[in-house]
Amino acid sequence: MSLLKYESQLREPLVNGNKTYAQVTEDIVRPIEAKPSKLWYIGFYISVALLMFGVYSVYREVTYGIGQWNLNKTIGWGWDITNFVWWVGIGHAGTLISAILLLFRQGWRTGVNRAAEAMTIFAVMCAGQFPIFHMGRVWMAFFVLPYPNSRGPLWVNFNSPLLWDVFAISTYFTVSLLFWYSGLIPDFATVRDRAFTKLRKRLYGIASFGWTGSTKHWQRHESLSLVLAGLSTPLVLSVHTIVSFDFATSVIPGWHTTIFPPYFVAGAIFSGFAMVQSLMVVVRKVFALEDYITIGHIEAMNKVIVLTGSIVGIAYLTELFMGWYSQNKYEGYTFWYSRAYLFSPYGWSYWGMMACNVLSPQIFWFRKMRRNLFVTFFMSVLVNIGMWFERFVIIVTSLYRDYLPSSWSVYYSPTVWEIGFYMGTFGLFFTCFFLFAKYFPTIAIAEIKYVLKTTGESYKADMTAIEKESASDFAHKVHAH
Amino acid sequence: MEKKYWQSFGALNQSDAYQKDVQNEFKEDIPALSEDSNLLEAKTPRRDFLKYLGFSTAAAAVAASCEMPVKKAIPFVNKPENITPGVANYYATTYVQDGDVVSVLAKVRDGRPIKIEGNDLSSINGGGTSARAQASVLDLYDTARLRFPSIEGKEVTFEAVDKAVAEAMSGLTGSVVLLTSSIVSPSTKAVIAQFLAKYPGSKHVTYDAVSYSGMLDANLATYGKRVLPSYHFEKAKTIVSLGADFLGTWLSPVEFSKQYAAGKRINEKDPSMSKHIHFESVATITGSNADEKYTHRPSETGAIAAALLAAVRGEAVNVADEKLKKGIAAAAKALNDQKGAALVVCGSNDPSVQIVVNAINEAVGANGTTINWAHTSNIRSGNDAEMAQLVKDMNAGSVGALLVYGANPAYNWYDVPSFVAGLKKVKVSISFNTKLDETTELCRFSLPDHHYLESWGDAEPKTNYFSFIQPTIHPLFKTRQWQDSLLKWSGATVDYVSFLKQFWGAKVGGEAGWNAALEKGVWQPEAASVSSTAFNGAAVAAAVDTARAAAKKDGLEVVLYQKVGIGEGQGASNPWLQELPDPVSRATWDNYFVISPALAKTLLGIDLSNGGQADAYEVNPPKKVIEVKVGNQTLSLPTLIIPGTDPNTIAVAVGYGRSAKTGKAAEGAGKNAYPLASFNGTFVAYHAANATATLTKDKYPVALTQTHFRYDTEQGNRTEVMKELTLGDFKKHPSEIYDERAKELEPWGGIEKFESDGTIYPVFDRPGIKWGMSVDLNTCTGCGACVVACNAENNIPVVGKTEVMRGHEMHWLRIDKYYSGDLDNPQVVFQPLMCQHCDNAPCENVCPVAATNHSSEGLNQMTYNRCIGTRYCANNCPYKVRRFNWSDYTGSDSFANNQEGIISDVTMDMQDDLTRMVLNPDVTVRSRGVIEKCSFCVQRLQEGKLKAKKESRPLEDSDVKVACQQACPTNAIVFGNANNKESAITMTRMDNKLRTFFSLEMLHVLPNVNYMAKVRNLPASEKHKAEAHS
Repeated sequence: MSLLKYESQLREPLVNGNKTYAQVTEDIVRPIEAKPSKLWYIGFYISVALLMFGVYSVYREVTYGIGQWNLNKTIGWGWDITNFVWWVGIGHAGTLISAILLLFRQGWRTGVNRAAEAMTIFAVMCAGQFPIFHMGRVWMAFFVLPYPNSRGPLWVNFNSPLLWDVFAISTYFTVSLLFWYSGLIPDFATVRDRAFTKLRKRLYGIASFGWTGSTKHWQRHESLSLVLAGLSTPLVLSVHTIVSFDFATSVIPGWHTTIFPPYFVAGAIFSGFAMVQSLMVVVRKVFALEDYITIGHIEAMNKVIVLTGSIVGIAYLTELFMGWYSQNKYEGYTFWYSRAYLFSPYGWSYWGMMACNVLSPQIFWFRKMRRNLFVTFFMSVLVNIGMWFERFVIIVTSLYRDYLPSSWSVYYSPTVWEIGFYMGTFGLFFTCFFLFAKYFPTIAIAEIKYVLKTTGESYKADMTAIEKESASDFAHKVHAH
Repeated sequence: MEKKYWQSFGALNQSDAYQKDVQNEFKEDIPALSEDSNLLEAKTPRRDFLKYLGFSTAAAAVAASCEMPVKKAIPFVNKPENITPGVANYYATTYVQDGDVVSVLAKVRDGRPIKIEGNDLSSINGGGTSARAQASVLDLYDTARLRFPSIEGKEVTFEAVDKAVAEAMSGLTGSVVLLTSSIVSPSTKAVIAQFLAKYPGSKHVTYDAVSYSGMLDANLATYGKRVLPSYHFEKAKTIVSLGADFLGTWLSPVEFSKQYAAGKRINEKDPSMSKHIHFESVATITGSNADEKYTHRPSETGAIAAALLAAVRGEAVNVADEKLKKGIAAAAKALNDQKGAALVVCGSNDPSVQIVVNAINEAVGANGTTINWAHTSNIRSGNDAEMAQLVKDMNAGSVGALLVYGANPAYNWYDVPSFVAGLKKVKVSISFNTKLDETTELCRFSLPDHHYLESWGDAEPKTNYFSFIQPTIHPLFKTRQWQDSLLKWSGATVDYVSFLKQFWGAKVGGEAGWNAALEKGVWQPEAASVSSTAFNGAAVAAAVDTARAAAKKDGLEVVLYQKVGIGEGQGASNPWLQELPDPVSRATWDNYFVISPALAKTLLGIDLSNGGQADAYEVNPPKKVIEVKVGNQTLSLPTLIIPGTDPNTIAVAVGYGRSAKTGKAAEGAGKNAYPLASFNGTFVAYHAANATATLTKDKYPVALTQTHFRYDTEQGNRTEVMKELTLGDFKKHPSEIYDERAKELEPWGGIEKFESDGTIYPVFDRPGIKWGMSVDLNTCTGCGACVVACNAENNIPVVGKTEVMRGHEMHWLRIDKYYSGDLDNPQVVFQPLMCQHCDNAPCENVCPVAATNHSSEGLNQMTYNRCIGTRYCANNCPYKVRRFNWSDYTGSDSFANNQEGIISDVTMDMQDDLTRMVLNPDVTVRSRGVIEKCSFCVQRLQEGKLKAKKESRPLEDSDVKVACQQACPTNAIVFGNANNKESAITMTRMDNKLRTFFSLEMLHVLPNVNYMAKVRNLPASEKHKAEAHS
């Protein structure tokens, strides 16, 4: 044992309770082996119902046309792309937690990374529905793939940011999925080893790819994690940067701004963490995992929220400033009238966004608030509402009144099928998440075990006794311990 | 006898039941789904269920497979003469509707007329058309047309109806009356004379829904003849209009627009133009185009005319309103300054007002200069008094037979109930109208006339200006020309075609002359001349007093007006015209009360000067409904606030509220406003005083295609979009616009090098053809002919009211309207906007699949079958000209008819096999889910290039005319190859360098469409006056 494993007593333990390795396994695998609770069934069925409603909404849109939505000649994108950007944003936290925090050696990530990654994958799946089904002729969607074809030199348009999206998101999804799954392998093996039915053994056996826990396996596993973390890190930044290019490279006032890439990435992390919070606060309670997802975890994530929320706030103010400073009448109108003027038709959405994203997270400057579960949950929902408004503001308030006043739009409000599609993605997300919570280890067992001896409560308590003695002694004892 | 085999007694006896049985292919009920048992109670529900499941899955799979249904075109076995598949023939004919006459060419493809073009040879409309003439081809294929003759609604043959009519007419007590709208055809007049001669005591009553009776009566009083003169707006240096919408709906708008534009066309070297001062109560396109405009109460028209007469004569002007007084003084001065080149026109139907106007014209020397009596106009000849007398006679029971052609008094007479009551007392009522309109519905006999594209005929819009009608298609239905009926009933042995040939044979020089005249479509036997006629001023003094006395001082007033598309109501059943946005209000599919911002404040509580309130009013289609009461007539309609309307006036368009039987398009569109008119013994007045308006709690959605009407915002005036200036400024600073552009583009290489220096990307040479368009905002009147022409040429779907309300209209070309200045009486500019075909198009680089791209000829082209419908291009288009197929508007989906209840009934009706005959086979019908937009009529460009190529010569201007350019009555649109130094487009741009601008030029999108700034004949603005002094 080296000194490096020593953790200051000032840091809270990452795992509470007197956990042993066996207990960790027991705590985390128990929900998988037990029958799901009534609550789980209720939640699951509601999610499936929502999903079915979404499927029907999409069916109508595909069968009867985009006219099922209230988009118009001026507002070509509305809820569809708003929801797309919103879900993609949410899908940022998982990879950030698993990749960037892994590289930064943030031990606290182990408690939440599995669920956060799952959330990322499901969120990206939801996000993907929108650019696909917002197409007028979705059955021709394969045109966006640059595959060799019999149409002569006809190729996709590499100038189009929408095409970059195709690549960025599919890459992100693939890498995130691999990363998530590679982490799951040792845990699946654990579940397999405890399995009491043949079917279970077989299925988890297949899922764990014949993991035996040999040193060679562990060594390869660790290298793979590191490589994937390295690959994912730039992706965390690139995906939302590219999504922001959809807007930033256009000519529409309100879209055509260079600030978008960093602003979008910060916003994505902001909303991603908020979503992780919403889910974790519930999951830790329902599955009795409070010892693994501690208040310390919650607080750490709230700190990220207040940081990114403030970055986003500065971005908003910078935009407003530039709207004035550029003295460009078109931009000025978009920023100062269509958005910032409360009594303009969409003024409410801008101020809704400001209130949810900039003002309310400031509450997290207070430690007490950061550690309050109720406040955390409420705020996390608020932030996601705010971030939805942000995308709505960017897309709709820029489009509905652009250059030619003659083409300014009538009021845009979604149809039930437009809302239904969005609800449907919630259904998809939660259906997946419920299944995940039931059949997958929601917390990375192996990784918790990895940090248990340095940061587990009982181990830290042992250390405290040693620390009370003299420093030279302490160093010696640590080595011996 | 043939040997007969039989299997059952039924087959042997051929009983009815057996026959029915044989027809029925599926004799037995589907077991599980028969009426009295449900699926579960059926004998073998599960197996049947599985069978049906299997069948429907298979059926769905087959239906949904990639194969689209194939419709086969079968080639001719013997090629008919003059028809080459794929090549269009053009036939000269004449659009005639209730006195409106436009000489046109009908484009016929494979035997179907599909497009109307103006006839360049006509010296009246000279290639120009109106929106209604353009849309008339769709009426030919209207599903609501009457398809056969009928007696009391039952189909009969023409032989039967002839017999029945003959029986009814013999032994008739009471007179025979022929009631028609204005007849412009000399041969028809001869036919009518023959018919009337057969029935002693019979008479011909001419009735115009929107009457010019007062004007005709005034001319009778002052000039001794009950006719209209022809006008020469092009010769007038000063034009004063008292409520005459001569560019939109008054008399002969196509002709007048052409003349007016001649006076407004500006020469940069020596800028000068006519001065147009307009007085009106409701904002019209003519008022919008005027240099100076004043609003007044409808009842004040006469007082203003009287005051103007006084002012012209140098007498004191007695008008209380300061603004009006100033306007009258200005008008009088402008008229007196241009004596002999001045013209006053008036839209009033009051003879005394028109007498005063005649006196003014006399005083300013218009008689014989701008008013021409050498070629009197025949297009309106209605007589209100005679019509009123007829209704009286009918009610008195003294009319035995009423033959109606063109007229529709059961809809548009001010007192419909009395006409209807009278009609019931008429024993023999016959209608020749082409549709089951309100009058025809009440007539016993219906003998539908041909559509004009199926007819023979002639027209004489002005004395000695002839225009001919020839059929372009075999009659689609069992219809007969009404002249044939009249000839038959008057005992003539010839049919109308022979009659027509006989009628013209000698005049035009025999068979050869007749054929030549038909080929050209127009014939003018003598050179045009101008002459005056003696003026008799005896009636003037009394008329002045009457006119003055009519003015009201207080209370609200109602005025009826016509819309450019719908007119008197003939356009109401035409979907293209219903969907054509009114140039002024930009509304479609409805009529509504038009009120001023001032009245809106008090009546509706909406303050347009308040940004938030104005926005709330604009962005929400439901508008507040008011109830207007005039006498004992009430009318509830939504209100639109239109700046430029008189504050005491509520205006409403006629022509709406038609019977649903006249067509799907008319169904539910607006309400009939004719009952608000009144008759005072000599003329029908289209305005009423002492109206009351009350705000109701209701709201009613109005489908507007444009929500915002100003291009200045708090953040700055968007002059990059639109440029206008005054003639005074233009003279003082001719290069103002050019300098402005130069200053704006200076950091990026200036105007000349902006293309290369405004970008970091390399610039390409553009050799060969480079298509370009130029639109002169000075001559564009905003009439909308181009919009309908574009609809017809490019198969643009009609989407219906609900879809327009949702911003789903599909027009490739729209006419934007902008206000500037004062909210109460603003100036108005129209800007036709189509795809600008940017050389650096923002739509092109955002399409992920390269479905929209640039041609080597500068076209921004749209590849429909590559489009996946992301709408990114539409979002990124700064001009917002791209249109998306939100639903299956054209019926081109593989699942046919799945749009029932999704799209409007009108759109469904447009997919009828009959209506689809109007489609242009050269243009792809777009399917659901793809973007479309103006293509610069690429099909015409290809045709023109091919023509030049076949003749081995370079392309010339005459080879290619795009649809909007062709339709424009004022030639405001110039199109051609900008790389050709001699082409009209290059010349236009060179000659008008100082007024040329590109909309949103600073974006470096490099449009291929340029505009030429609007110049208003006004003195230099304050800004420039100040400069001149310092």
